Amino acid sequence: MEQNNDILMDIRDVKKTYHVGDVNIYALCGVTFRLVAGEVCCIIGRSGSGKSTLLNMLAGLENPTSGQIIIAHRHLERMTQSELILFRQKNVGFIFQSFNLMPYYTALENVALPLVFRGAPRARRNKIARDMLDAVGLSSHLQHKPMQMSGGQQQRVAIARALVSDPGIIFADEPTGNLDSKTSDEVMHLITHIARERRKTLVMVTHDPNMRQFTDKAITLLDGKIIDIHINENAIGKEFDGKQASALH
Amino acid sequence: MSIIDTLTIAFRNLWRRKLRAVLTVLGMAIGTAAIVVMMSLGIGINEYFRESIERTGSMTTITVTNYRTNYSSDGMAEVYVSGLGGNDEIVLDNKAVESIEKIGGVVAVMPLMEYWGQAVNGQYYAHLNIMGVDIDKAELFEFSLAEGRMPSKHAGSAYEIVFGSWTLREFTHKRTYRQAVDAMGNPKLTLDSRFQLTFDYSNILSYDDMGMGQDGATVSKGKLYKLRPVGVMSEESNNYAWYSLMDIEAVKKLAKENKAYNELDTSRYSQIWVKCADTGQVLDIQNQIMALGYGATSAQDTLNMVTEQFASLQLLLGAIGSVSLLIAAIGIMNTMMMSIYERTKEIGIIKVLGCRMGNIAGQFLTEAAYIGLFGGSVGLAVSYGLSALLNMFVFAGDDMGIGSVMRSVIPMYLSAGAVGFSIVVALLSGMYPALRAMRLSALTAIRNE
Repeated sequence: MEQNNDILMDIRDVKKTYHVGDVNIYALCGVTFRLVAGEVCCIIGRSGSGKSTLLNMLAGLENPTSGQIIIAHRHLERMTQSELILFRQKNVGFIFQSFNLMPYYTALENVALPLVFRGAPRARRNKIARDMLDAVGLSSHLQHKPMQMSGGQQQRVAIARALVSDPGIIFADEPTGNLDSKTSDEVMHLITHIARERRKTLVMVTHDPNMRQFTDKAITLLDGKIIDIHINENAIGKEFDGKQASALH
Repeated sequence: MSIIDTLTIAFRNLWRRKLRAVLTVLGMAIGTAAIVVMMSLGIGINEYFRESIERTGSMTTITVTNYRTNYSSDGMAEVYVSGLGGNDEIVLDNKAVESIEKIGGVVAVMPLMEYWGQAVNGQYYAHLNIMGVDIDKAELFEFSLAEGRMPSKHAGSAYEIVFGSWTLREFTHKRTYRQAVDAMGNPKLTLDSRFQLTFDYSNILSYDDMGMGQDGATVSKGKLYKLRPVGVMSEESNNYAWYSLMDIEAVKKLAKENKAYNELDTSRYSQIWVKCADTGQVLDIQNQIMALGYGATSAQDTLNMVTEQFASLQLLLGAIGSVSLLIAAIGIMNTMMMSIYERTKEIGIIKVLGCRMGNIAGQFLTEAAYIGLFGGSVGLAVSYGLSALLNMFVFAGDDMGIGSVMRSVIPMYLSAGAVGFSIVVALLSGMYPALRAMRLSALTAIRNE
């Protein structure tokens, strides 16, 4: 299944050490794994396991102490701040635990924001954003501000925002962490469905081992080391494989 | 990121915290108003002096003299070169006129000749300082007359003259020394009275009158000419008010005929007036004339001197205004820093969403520029109001026809400069906050507090 030229992410022996005073904290102690394009993956671990640190480094927000992070044939650990921003602009969508929507912008404006930074003209970006909100089932909430929406709705706006610039990779940091279990399931269905439908690579960090039922691959971290890589041939929603549209609602 | 998006987003960010934005703009407005009003006072003083200098002589006129003042290299000591005798005697003759006419930018060159004579009306006589002018060119030099017209070119037996402002009042009875004025001090003589012109005192006063015995002088008496006054020089703001004007050719003729009583070298002029095409060229032409070896003065000299003297005053006024602008600039910096601390997370998010470093800095700088623009504009409006109030209530009063010395003047360049300057100041104070924002880590977006 893993053909070499399909490999999108190649993580080689990544280590991260924080210095707090005189004490060294080893957040990651040599993490190695690969992901192919279009794979839906979750990184599971308890708090302190190093999972968020790993995600930050995959997104180029933090530099590893050692090791290599090769995404789309490019070495992230060698890029400058500006190059990383450009890289994210082109390749990466981000979904946060606390949604991180701009509170004073409407849903439509929030979703269109990444396109603003790419210099898209207003009419075009509004159309793309509207389509995106439509895809997450929020076409009736275009002019709502985040405060006027429920947590699940806000996270769906955030998903639309992550996808609006059509990136190859979506990173999600505890996307269901602030949601109740029913909404969590809905959001997980939506994220994995959209990722598969649009053939995006999804890397999701979670503390909840139950989430592995939604993903093709589950990497379990403990104390900065991978203790298990679980391949799930029968992930929920996988049978759609992008051929059946929007069967979730 | 397009410019319109940058402008819109920056404006919305400011608008989100209206009160703070308004207060910061207010600070900037006060700073701008302080500087503009202070500078308007300095400009007002300058303008007052320029106007009063312009009243005494046109700003485009250079007076060429037969003496000059040389400044030594250190600019302090003065060396005075006189036109009377000596090797480096300066001669203002037709050759001088020709060489000056060749200088570029010169519109007209008019030589003047001074001569002295007596006007006679019956028992009354008055001394005349006669200035011979070229009638063809005189119009260009704008002699201001209180009444009448300029003399026409001399022809026939009568000599036309424009009396000096006070000439009619100066007629004195040759024996009683009483002036020819009525009880109110108004002259009894008018332009319509009959006048004669002479250069020989003996035509007016016998030797007895002069207290000298008749000692067998053999000099024949000088001629009495028919004198026809056609106008009176204006008294107000006129350096030449005491001169009576005649055609220079008439003066030359009279001087030749009366050599015996009042000798004058008619090949030499007492002054040459030079008219320049525009004010900007005056100093240049003046320097060229001085390079030819002549003395030259212009109203620009005086104006430059005055401007120089008041430059330090203006600087002081500007400095007082700058203090409030400096405080306003610190206010902007403070506002921007506050806003960055508040928006740390937001900045992190937009960085993750793909906002480039330059765009982040650009947004904060745009916000600062808005504060500068609005503050500058409001400040300018306030300045116009204050300036109008000052002129109306404080500086009014001691108006003597030429306006009060103190007044507030806001020229266009000050208006544009003030708004531009406040934007620049705002941008400068926004620079550091913008840099801080740019360097904030995108990681802050991920952190959940």
